[in-house]
Amino acid sequence: MSFRLQVIICVAVVAVFGLLVRMIWKKKIDLRYGLPWLCLCAGMLLLDIFPEITSWLADVMGVSLPINMMFFLGFCFCLLIIFMITMSISRMSRKQKQLAQEVALLRRRLEELTEQQRKECGRDSR
Amino acid sequence: MKKLIIIPAYNECENLEHTIRDVKEHAPDYDYVIINDCSTDGTAQLCREKGFSVIHLPVNLGIGGAVQTGYLYAREKGYDIAVQIDGDGQHNTRYLKDMEKILVEGGADMVIGSRFIKKEGFQSSGLRQMGIRYFSWLIRMLTGARITDPTSGMRMVNRDLIQLFAAEYPKDYPEPESAAWAVKRRRRVAELPVMMNAREKGVSSISPVNSVYYMIKVTLAVILACF
Repeated sequence: MSFRLQVIICVAVVAVFGLLVRMIWKKKIDLRYGLPWLCLCAGMLLLDIFPEITSWLADVMGVSLPINMMFFLGFCFCLLIIFMITMSISRMSRKQKQLAQEVALLRRRLEELTEQQRKECGRDSR
Repeated sequence: MKKLIIIPAYNECENLEHTIRDVKEHAPDYDYVIINDCSTDGTAQLCREKGFSVIHLPVNLGIGGAVQTGYLYAREKGYDIAVQIDGDGQHNTRYLKDMEKILVEGGADMVIGSRFIKKEGFQSSGLRQMGIRYFSWLIRMLTGARITDPTSGMRMVNRDLIQLFAAEYPKDYPEPESAAWAVKRRRRVAELPVMMNAREKGVSSISPVNSVYYMIKVTLAVILACF
């Protein structure tokens, strides 16, 4: 990897990192969900500054080209994120269902009470 | 004994009035509640005009979520028996008395109205029947229980199952899954031969396009419910 490429990647990653932190700070992203992306930035920065790690990892895992190692890691990371999103969608749809049901039952209860009150008022006035 | 009829309805404006008339005529000792699953037709307005007993869901939850709302309501109000029938007028309420007898005197926990015991009335199309027979077979293989019409949406449950369904009920296409689930948890599931009508107006929720998804999803759900 050329020194120039290293610098470009480094600048890009730092920029993205800054953007992420800003969005988290402005509450546009939950820290909880921003954390994996922050970790990604940190990881990329690490591999960018010490490319030997990639070579070493590729060697250990029997991947012939270090760049393929990068692709593989990136792919794994994407899968991880998608899986986390699937989990949180499931959780949210469950909660959303419970909320909708609760709202519906409360609304029904409210209508019953209003009706009851209306009847009582009618009786009093008579 | 407090008894409740749960009628899930999504855009059943045209059939609903008939269904409610049927309920009032044949099952006067039952309370009923329509679960309006955020219909986009005039269902809400119709209910208001006619003074029907209704619960409006603020967002569309699908059949499972709607029915479960009914069970939550039944639990809240302390009903002893809850029975679900479809809002499209397919189910005859005159069978409720017999279902009740099996539940109370026969000691069953769940009674399903089955089209396929006497094979009378509306029998559904050939392809659908094959699907239903397949689910019946699947449930028998996994649980040993004979349920001839596992997709029937006409089912009565006792207080025990009201509690269980209020806490946990499948979201979409819940019928075979919940029946298998009940059997596997040692609840007694019985069936009563009934005649159903072909739906009068509107369309079924299972189109050819999503029937493949239906088969796969329900198969997995039934298998998972059995472990």
